Amino acid sequence: MSVVVIAVATESGVPIFSRKRGNNENVQFSTIASLHGINMFSKCHNLSMLNTQVDNGTILWKEYCKSVTLIGVTTGGLECDLELLLSCVHDTMVFCIGKKELENLKNIDQIKRDLRQCYPILDYLLESLDPNTLSSPLPTLVLDLIQSILCPQAQQLQQALDNYAESVTGRWACLIIHGHLVATSSDFYELDPREARLMLLLAAAQDGAPLRDTPVYLPQMSPNVAFRAVTCKLLADVYILVVCGATPALSQIDEIVLQCWESYASIIKEAKLVHPRNFPMSLTFEPCVLGLLVININKRRCVFSRHLHLSSQKGRGMSGAHRMDILRTFYVTSARDLAPELKLKDGNHKVSELNDEIGNMCETYWCSEYHKCHAQRSGNILCCALYASTVQLHTIRLITSQILQDLSTNKDVYW
Amino acid sequence: MNNYKSKVSYDSPCDSDNDWTNSSDDSKYSDSESSVPEWDSDVGEDGELVYIKIKNDNEMTDFTKTPLLENCETFKLRNNFKRSSTRRSTKGRIFKVLKSHKSKNTESSTRKGDEGASNVNRNVLPDEKLIIVQVSKSMIFSSEKNCQIEKLFGLSLETHADGKTLTVAEFLTEARAIYTPKVQKGYYLQKINGIEVNSYNINNILQRVIEDHNSPRLTFQVPTESHKVDMERLLKSKTAPDNSLTHLLKESLCSVLYICCNDIEYNSDDDKGVLYCYPRPFNQNFLYNTRGAYVTLNHLAPKSLGTSEPTTSTVLHNNTLINVTYTSHYNDLLLVAFPNKEVDLFAAKKVIADIVRLLEFLYGSLKSSFTKPNNVDKLDGLFARVFVTLVINSRGNKEDGGKNVGLYFEDMLAAHSVTLPLEVKVQVDDAITELEAADYREWTDDIENFQRLYTVIGSCLYYNGHLLSSHLQDEDLKEINAYLRLNGILKLSTEKELEKLVVWREVFINEHRKQNKNDGNEFRISDGRWFLLTVGKGHFVLSTLMEAGGCTEDAVGVTPPSPFYVEECESCLELLYDVGLNKYLVSWFNSNSQPQVETSPEYLTKYGRKIRDINSLKPDSTLKTSTLKLSKQTDKRRHNSSEQINVGSSTSDMNSMNSLTNYGSHHSLYAQTYSTAPKYRHSSLDVSYSEDSNSLKSNSEVSEERIQGRRADREQRNRRDSSGSDSDWDRLDRSRASGSLDMSDIRKSLLNDINHVTAKRITAGEENVLFHFVHLESERGVLIAPVKNIEVLANNVLYSYIVKTFRSACKQIHELLQHSIRFKKNHAPSNPLNKILVAVKEHGMLFQTPVDILSQCGVSKKNCEPYLFWVVGRVFSEPEPRELYLCYHESVPQDLTEVAYLLSYLE
Repeated sequence: MSVVVIAVATESGVPIFSRKRGNNENVQFSTIASLHGINMFSKCHNLSMLNTQVDNGTILWKEYCKSVTLIGVTTGGLECDLELLLSCVHDTMVFCIGKKELENLKNIDQIKRDLRQCYPILDYLLESLDPNTLSSPLPTLVLDLIQSILCPQAQQLQQALDNYAESVTGRWACLIIHGHLVATSSDFYELDPREARLMLLLAAAQDGAPLRDTPVYLPQMSPNVAFRAVTCKLLADVYILVVCGATPALSQIDEIVLQCWESYASIIKEAKLVHPRNFPMSLTFEPCVLGLLVININKRRCVFSRHLHLSSQKGRGMSGAHRMDILRTFYVTSARDLAPELKLKDGNHKVSELNDEIGNMCETYWCSEYHKCHAQRSGNILCCALYASTVQLHTIRLITSQILQDLSTNKDVYW
Repeated sequence: MNNYKSKVSYDSPCDSDNDWTNSSDDSKYSDSESSVPEWDSDVGEDGELVYIKIKNDNEMTDFTKTPLLENCETFKLRNNFKRSSTRRSTKGRIFKVLKSHKSKNTESSTRKGDEGASNVNRNVLPDEKLIIVQVSKSMIFSSEKNCQIEKLFGLSLETHADGKTLTVAEFLTEARAIYTPKVQKGYYLQKINGIEVNSYNINNILQRVIEDHNSPRLTFQVPTESHKVDMERLLKSKTAPDNSLTHLLKESLCSVLYICCNDIEYNSDDDKGVLYCYPRPFNQNFLYNTRGAYVTLNHLAPKSLGTSEPTTSTVLHNNTLINVTYTSHYNDLLLVAFPNKEVDLFAAKKVIADIVRLLEFLYGSLKSSFTKPNNVDKLDGLFARVFVTLVINSRGNKEDGGKNVGLYFEDMLAAHSVTLPLEVKVQVDDAITELEAADYREWTDDIENFQRLYTVIGSCLYYNGHLLSSHLQDEDLKEINAYLRLNGILKLSTEKELEKLVVWREVFINEHRKQNKNDGNEFRISDGRWFLLTVGKGHFVLSTLMEAGGCTEDAVGVTPPSPFYVEECESCLELLYDVGLNKYLVSWFNSNSQPQVETSPEYLTKYGRKIRDINSLKPDSTLKTSTLKLSKQTDKRRHNSSEQINVGSSTSDMNSMNSLTNYGSHHSLYAQTYSTAPKYRHSSLDVSYSEDSNSLKSNSEVSEERIQGRRADREQRNRRDSSGSDSDWDRLDRSRASGSLDMSDIRKSLLNDINHVTAKRITAGEENVLFHFVHLESERGVLIAPVKNIEVLANNVLYSYIVKTFRSACKQIHELLQHSIRFKKNHAPSNPLNKILVAVKEHGMLFQTPVDILSQCGVSKKNCEPYLFWVVGRVFSEPEPRELYLCYHESVPQDLTEVAYLLSYLE
């Protein structure tokens, strides 16, 4: 499999960057020029190429801000929504340098240099498509969802986060463990889910730094005025992130962090134990459930888990990473249709005609030779579960709806 | 022309030999010298022939709209039939008896008489939009061509394809302001000064206009939006399609382009290697104008991006979504564009495969189709037909709210076939086999001196666009199916009743094309020529693939159809008529019996059962007759599906009835729900019997021994004739009763078949929960599904909704399952496939019906339990990939393996 994303200045045709993932060769300059040429040429003829399918892959052009053209190429049976990827890439670019810069493109060399800082985030995005990287320490599995951990401590931590955000005169704060969102301040959901997701990627990209601030532009909320995102490492793999104004200075924040969080160390440690199961211990699952992906559709948050059962069954069946990949592929190819609101909305009416939507689907499943996948939606929650191939479909349907019911009634589940 | 005609009459065995004709005295074939076939004058210079004669133009025998039997000319031919059947000798009956021109003539004349009397012209003209423009008399336009029309009106006209109607071709620059934007190119000029004009009287009228002092008033007619192009005319025409059609295609953004990318070969060409482009002119064809983009991408993708060549591009042009498909052929590139509204991406991929197949079949290879000299007109016609079939004529009517029907999932994948009862299948196969055997001892005694012209390789028979039987190789069938479908012949035979259809042309069979590549094969087939002969009658289309060369005479030069073989094929169809297959199929297609699908889905809800009961208490409610009839059969079989396969069919009706009552008595749990069903069933069976009394007691005490009175009467009658079909058959039988004694053996046997028909169910559970299914054998190019007009038969909002959802869900499922099929087919694929997707062999989706659709079906909102149904697809990979798609109600879980197993019994 391979995926390439190329950014080109629309008018001048100057390549801005190109990132790739997978086993393909680097795209040559002449190829970039030709690809861009195709797009420009067809534009001259009042024709826009929306999507090109190749055997097992896709080529896509997308123009943003009337100044930057993103070209995406995937091949090798990679299941992903390329259009979504490109729009995420564009969000990342805005996130780093702001919309105004991107629209003007006055000093391309400067912009190229500025954009370098978002390469780690871009690479995370591309990595999230690659099934081979699932075993990496900070996997990002789905492009548009925020990977989370459901823990009983979330409510307490929310108070702490609110308190902390207030102390630094900031607004939105969240706690991240192992790259997963664990708790948020109460107004965190004012942020667009995609902005929130970029925050998480930012924290992941700055792995290792104990305290750091970065200017960020919020693509939806404030694309032209930068905010200050402060990430602070509390414990190993535990970060808090807060978005605030220019003051207080980093040194002051360091002190505030100590004040706010000293007493919460034990709670955070407890919360950390929930990983990698990612679900509260009070939620139990049938042994035939091999993996689980639960999505809160409104909040765009998802919880992956492959360690559902305490007695680990190592050496039996497929590897954990493979399970995650199956669930992820199942979600991307089929189960996402259960939540049409998750689909990328295109302003162009005509274009949306392409996605021939079949409405009112409420369950879907796959049977493969080695496993079964089943997805069911109940209100705001979508549950995709991976089962052993021997379980019958009617049993599967019962278990999945049981899981959905447990999720809605369990008191430890706090999104 | 004369040259080959004489050659034919010499070669043709029916002329060289009069012996066999003498054997039957009243056969008028003995004077064959004088009887030049009626299609003879239509044979083209290249020997190709398209001859179509539609039965009575006024009659819109729209099959889909007239599902009832009485509309389908039931028994007019009985007398003739009797006569010919007595003359039939056992051996070679097809060839000898059925050639009687005389009887044919009387048949057709009586038929015409009948129709003339009984037919009400149902062809109601749609609302035509008229535009009136007054052109000042004082204006005189300068005409270069010194044309009267241009001088007077400032516009140039051309004749429409029908040879009569005048259409606007061009405006003169000075006159443009007068007409535009109200009148546009392609509009019809209907009247001048209130007098209807056509190409015949235009000159007279112009003369009058010149003499008249008043300013002329022109009335234009807007071609209606849902304007259907007459396929018959398009098929027949030997010239390129006319401008109005070309314009229509240009407007709908259909386009073809063939580019030779090898610079050396066609460098001198002004168009830089463009060998073919339609619709023309070049500079107005968007595909031509933007070809650079596609060609570059086609080069770039494999070489620099490491992907495969592009297969499709979706582009937005003039605010219309268009799917452009790529087909590479060595260095050349074939581009075909379809508007996404009519042909979506999924369909485009399937259709382009068919188009390529078709071009190769007709011309040997892609390259030769576009480089063959003087072939442009032919190609124009071909592509015009393809686009008209796929795009123009598949557009929805105004009644549907202009909503586009699109291409059905079933239609795109393979030849739509139906399951026939074994006896009928045998009859059909028998007839075709006899044709294929071409045992010419039947025709001539002079075997030594007579060599056959052609060997029949195989043939396939369609009825109403459904494949009944195929004796062809899989690849040949796929190609012939593509040929018949894309040329619109299948559709024509469905919509119109054919009086006579003869299509003849040379083809290049797959086997021979493939063979050229690996030479030196021991078992190579001989170098010969192949011809496809298609004949049609009524709703039947029979395509026969014939070989010249090898053991038959070599075909040299221009080869027109041989009248003898045409008649052989025609008589094969005649035979099918003689055994009553045409009538049988009408009822079979309407019977919804093998396997049966539930066309009144609302009856599967609790509330629906109540409605059903209420309806069944009022048997005279004519509103829902058609659905009632069908659902009657639904209820007929309640026992286990595995059982029912084995049930002896002769007493089917009785059995089912007993099983019904048995359920009622044995399972007291079910009694409440099901005791109501028989009531309903009886009432719907036949209105002529007053059912009320029966229905009241039927649920409790009916058993085989105790049937009395009228009830017994009917039971016996049912046993005798119409178990599977509906009341129409009863009526038929009565009308037949007087003269049925002297029927031929064959006829009788076929009628017996009808008696043996039982509705079969393939799903598990007490009630029939199956709504729709598709069983696809992609390797064979055949699929089995309920008849195409099942939706019309059902006439049910909920059912239509379910089927629509089923079709779009099937597309997704099909795409997913292809991973597995491709993987199994090719173990070391050049492109790595997604490891996870290749393992998926079953994919299901559960849908919930929106409340408003349910309430339209009378299921009130109050007691609305969610109405859920599954669409499930599964691939069976051994021995060759087969796919089964099912749509069923959620109440009973189904095992697709089991369903596939039961379905295989029906074949």
